[in-house]
Amino acid sequence: MERRNQADTITATVTSMAGAADTAKTNIKVSMFATCIGDALYPRIGEAMARLLARLGVSLEFPPGQTCCGQPAFNSGYWEEARRSASTLLEAFADSDFVIGPSGSCIGMIHHYPKLFEHDPVRLKMAEELKAKSYEFTQFLVQVLGVTDLGASFPHKVTYHPSCHGSRLLGIKEEPMALLQNVKGMELIPLPFAEDCCGFGGTFAVKMADISGAMVTEKADHVLETSAEVLTGLDMACLMNIAGQLRHRQQSVRVMHLAELLDEGVSGT
Amino acid sequence: MSSVKERADLALNNDFLRKAVRFTTERLRDGKRKAADDHGNWEEWRERGRQIRLHTIAHLDYYLHRFAEQARANGAHVHFASTGEEAVRIALEIAARKQARSVVKSKSMVSEELHVNRALEEAGVETVETDLGEYIIQLAGEAPSHIIIPAIHKNRYQIAELLSREAGEELPPETSVLAGFVRRKLRAKFLEADIGMTGCNFAIAETGSIVLFENEGNARMVSTVPKTQITFMGMERIIPSWSDLEVMATLLPRSATGQKLTVYMSGITGPRRSADGDGPEEMHIIILDNGRSEQLGDPEFQELLNCIRCGACLNACPVYRHIGGHAYGGTYSGPIGAVLTPALNKNVAEWDDIASASSLCGACYEACPVKIPLHDMLVYLRRRKVEQGYGNKLETAGMKGFAAVTANSKRFHQVLKAGRVLQRLVVRNGEIPAQIGPLKGWNRYRVAPSLANQPFRERWDSLQHELRASVEQTGTGAVAQERMREALLQRAAARPEGNGVPGRTHEVSGDQDGNATVRKEGQTYDG
Amino acid sequence: MMDNEYYEWLKTKEAEARQKQEQFMDRIAGKLKRPRQREAPAHPFRGAPAYWRELDWSLEERLARFEENFTAAGGHVVRLANFEAAKAYIAAMAQTLGARYILRQDDPLLAELGVDEVLTAEGARVSVWNGHRSEAWITRAAEADFGIVAADYAVAYTGSLVVRSAPEKGRSVSLLPTALFAIVPVDRLKTRLGEVLETFDKAGREALPAGIHFISGPSRSADIENDLTIGVHGPGVVFALLVG
Repeated sequence: MERRNQADTITATVTSMAGAADTAKTNIKVSMFATCIGDALYPRIGEAMARLLARLGVSLEFPPGQTCCGQPAFNSGYWEEARRSASTLLEAFADSDFVIGPSGSCIGMIHHYPKLFEHDPVRLKMAEELKAKSYEFTQFLVQVLGVTDLGASFPHKVTYHPSCHGSRLLGIKEEPMALLQNVKGMELIPLPFAEDCCGFGGTFAVKMADISGAMVTEKADHVLETSAEVLTGLDMACLMNIAGQLRHRQQSVRVMHLAELLDEGVSGT
Repeated sequence: MSSVKERADLALNNDFLRKAVRFTTERLRDGKRKAADDHGNWEEWRERGRQIRLHTIAHLDYYLHRFAEQARANGAHVHFASTGEEAVRIALEIAARKQARSVVKSKSMVSEELHVNRALEEAGVETVETDLGEYIIQLAGEAPSHIIIPAIHKNRYQIAELLSREAGEELPPETSVLAGFVRRKLRAKFLEADIGMTGCNFAIAETGSIVLFENEGNARMVSTVPKTQITFMGMERIIPSWSDLEVMATLLPRSATGQKLTVYMSGITGPRRSADGDGPEEMHIIILDNGRSEQLGDPEFQELLNCIRCGACLNACPVYRHIGGHAYGGTYSGPIGAVLTPALNKNVAEWDDIASASSLCGACYEACPVKIPLHDMLVYLRRRKVEQGYGNKLETAGMKGFAAVTANSKRFHQVLKAGRVLQRLVVRNGEIPAQIGPLKGWNRYRVAPSLANQPFRERWDSLQHELRASVEQTGTGAVAQERMREALLQRAAARPEGNGVPGRTHEVSGDQDGNATVRKEGQTYDG
Repeated sequence: MMDNEYYEWLKTKEAEARQKQEQFMDRIAGKLKRPRQREAPAHPFRGAPAYWRELDWSLEERLARFEENFTAAGGHVVRLANFEAAKAYIAAMAQTLGARYILRQDDPLLAELGVDEVLTAEGARVSVWNGHRSEAWITRAAEADFGIVAADYAVAYTGSLVVRSAPEKGRSVSLLPTALFAIVPVDRLKTRLGEVLETFDKAGREALPAGIHFISGPSRSADIENDLTIGVHGPGVVFALLVG
C-alpha cells in the first residue's frame, strides 16, 4: 500500500501540536461516519472518537442523513439493495473533505462503491470522491494528522485483534500498533493466530452459523490464552462477535474499540 | 446432493479431521511464510507472477496455438477437448488402440475433474494412482480433500488398514513401513504398466514442453517407464518461455509447501528420441477446456485462469481449516474451489451454496502467489445468483427490508426507536441471550448485544456542544488544520491519474496493450 | 502394434485435433472480443524481476549455499578436490552400503573418472547406459543399487542438480536405483535457477532433450499424517559430489 505520509511524521506528538497558537476558523469539513453498528449498538465509540479528535483540534460534524454502508446486502449479492443504503452515504458526505469512521470494514465497503455504482455515471463520480476522502479512524490519526502518541495511559494487559478488512484490504497494520505502543503503562500481549478471521462475516454468521461458531470459538480460545484483561481492535462488528462468545462462556475479558481505550487512557477514567 | 452446510456439519463433528486439517494447514502456511520471507521482495514476485499470467491469458490463442504446434514438432500427439467427456473419450480410445491393460497415474487435478479413473476401470483397464496420498484415497474410494495433500483427512491407523488389505497381511501403522510397502507394490506397477498418465503444471509455448513439479518421483516414473504417455492439461496452463518458468518455480513450491523447489521439476519435450533408452515412445497431450474459456473476457472472473494450483489459499482459509476439503463437494476445495467449481460448471442454482461458505476475510487473496481476488469473486458469484432470481426467498425478503430501512435516515431512526421498545421483551442485563428468530444461530455460540438506549444520532447534539467548547479552549487545532490542508493538496495533485487515493494501492495497469487488464479500479486492494 | 491401421487412426485423430484446435482459438479470440492473435505479442514481463537477474554469487558462496540447501532437503554434499578423490569416495561408499550393481551414464566425464575398474575390482558389477545398444535398460536401472550421473548443471539458490537426457544418459539412471551419485564439476554450479532455464530458451526447441530433470534431494512424501518419509518412489539416498 502506498503511504502518503513518510515515517518521520509518525513520530509527531500531541505535545508538539500544543505549541501552535493559530486558531483561525477554517472551512475544512471533517465528517463522522458513525456506522450503523456504532450508531445503534455502540454509541460510546463514536463519542470516544469525537472526543479524541477534539483534543487534537479537529471538530467533527455528523451528517444525520447517513445510515449504513450497505455491506450486509453487498456481500450477500443484493447490490440493488446495497446501492439504496450506500446512496445515503454518498449524499450525506457529498460536501465533506474528510470522512472518518471507526471501522476498517465499513470504510473498506466504501472502497467497493466505484464497482457498486459502475453503471451510474453520476453516482460513480460521487463514489470515487467518497472513496478518496474516507479514512478509518487510525488511518486518519497517523496518516493525515501524523499523530501516534496521544499521551494516553492504560495500566492493563491488552491484546489486539487485527480485523481482516482493515488489515488486509486497507493495509492498516502499523497504525494501530504505533498508537498502542505509545500508551503508557500498558502491557501489549500478542494474540496467537491474530490474523485469522474471527468468523463474523456479516450474514455468514447467520447462514453458516456452525462454521462461524467454530471460528469464533477458536478466536476466543486464543484471546483467553493471552490472559489479557482487555481485547481491543478497530472493528466493532468483529469485537461484538468475539465479545458475544466470551460472554457466552462467561468470561470477563473486557472488549473495547481502540478509540474507547485511547479515550479512557487520555481522560484518566 | 447434500448442502455445503450438511457436509460441513459432518466435518465439524469429526475431531480427528479437524485436528489433522488444522495441523497440516498451519504447517504449510508457516512454511510458506518463512519461504516467502527468506526469498524476499515477495510482493514484487507476486506482481511479476500475476503479470506473466495476465499476459499469457490475454493472448491465450497465440500461446496455446504455438504450444500445440511446437509439441507436434517434438513428435507429440496433441488433442483438444471441449468437455470432460470428450477428454475421457480420447483417452479411452488411445487405451483401446494400444490394447492397454494397465495405467499408472501421477497426481493431476484435471484428471480428478474428468473422473477418468472410473471410465478406465469400466473399460477394463486397471488404473493406479501412484502419488502416495492419491493411492491411499483411491484404496479408500474417496476424492482428494486438499490440492497438495490429498489424504490430509486420513490417520495412520486408517491408512495401515487400507494398505494391509492390499498387502494381504497386517502392516503396522508406521510411516516408514507403510511407505516401504507402497514403494515395492507400485514399483511393480510402474514396470508393467502400458500407459502413464500425468497432469501438467506448466506448458511452455515456445518449445512445446510440459513441466511437472513433484516430490515423490512418481510423476517421473509415469513419464519415463511406460511406452505411452498421456498428459491432461487445462488449456490455461501455458506460460510463454522457460525464463518465465523461473518466476513460477519461485512462486509455486514456496506457496504450496514452503520448499525452495520441489524435489523434482521435470521439463518434458516430446516423446523419447529414437536412440534414447527410456522415456515414452508415444506421447499424447489432451488439452481441456471444460468451462475454462467461459471465464475469458469476463472482467470479474478472467483472473481465475491465472491460478497455479498451489493450495496456499486453502492453507490460509479459516473456513477450510474447520471443515476440510470434502465439505466443498467439488474437485477443487477451499477458496479456489468455492469460486472455480461454480464458475466451471455454470450451475447457477448451486452457486450460493458453496459461495456462502466464506466470511470474506481476504486471507485467500493475501496468500495467493498470483493475487487472484477470490474474496471479491465470491461476492460476484452471490450477486449473479441473486440477479438471476435464484436468491433465497427469506433472505431476499430480509434484504428488501434492510434496504427499505437503510435507504432513508428518518426511517432508520424510527426503526431504532421501535426496536428499543420491542427488545425489552428479550433483553437481560443489557444483553440478548435467547436463541430466537434471526439470533438462533448467533446465540448458539454467543450472547447478542442490545440496542443502545440512545443511539449515537440522538447523543450528537449535546456531544457537539461539549466538544466545540473544548476545541476552542485548547486551541491546538493549527497543526491539525495544516496537516489536513496538506492532505487535501496531495489528494488534488494525485487526482488526474486517479492515483494517490487514501488507503488504496497503486494498481499496476496490467498488460500494456490493455486487453489483459480485466481487473477494474477499486476491485481490489493491496495489503 | 505399430501397424498401418494404427497410423491411419493417428492421422485421423490429428486431422480432428487440428480442426478442433482452430475452433478453440477462434473461441478464445471471440471471448476476448478481438481478432485472432497470430503474431507473437510483445511480452514485457518475461522472466524474473530485473534486480534478481543481477544476483551472482562467488564460487565459494555458491558452494556453501548449494550445500546448505541440498543438505536441508535431505541430500548429502561432499566437496572433493579432484576426480581421483571422487572415485575413491564412490568406491568407499559402495563398500559401506554394500552396493552390488552399479549403473552409470555413458558420459565422457564419468569414463575419465575411472570408477568402473575400481568397483569391479571390489566385486561389484557395473553397467554403462547407452540407448544405442539393445538392452532392457529400464529393468537394469531398477536393479541397480547405485546410479551415477554427471550433472549438466547445479543451482546453488535452490540446491538442485540438473540432468538432461540423451541416448547415453537415461532418465532412469537418476530415478530407479536405490542411491544416486551425481558428479558436479564446480564450474557447472550456477547461482540462480534462471541461469539454467534461460539456456533452454536460447537453445530453442530442436536442441532440447526429451527429459530435463531438476533434482533437489531424495524422493520424499509427507502424505501420511505429515510424517516425512524419504525414498517413496525415487532414490532415498542422494549424493552430490562437488569436484574441483
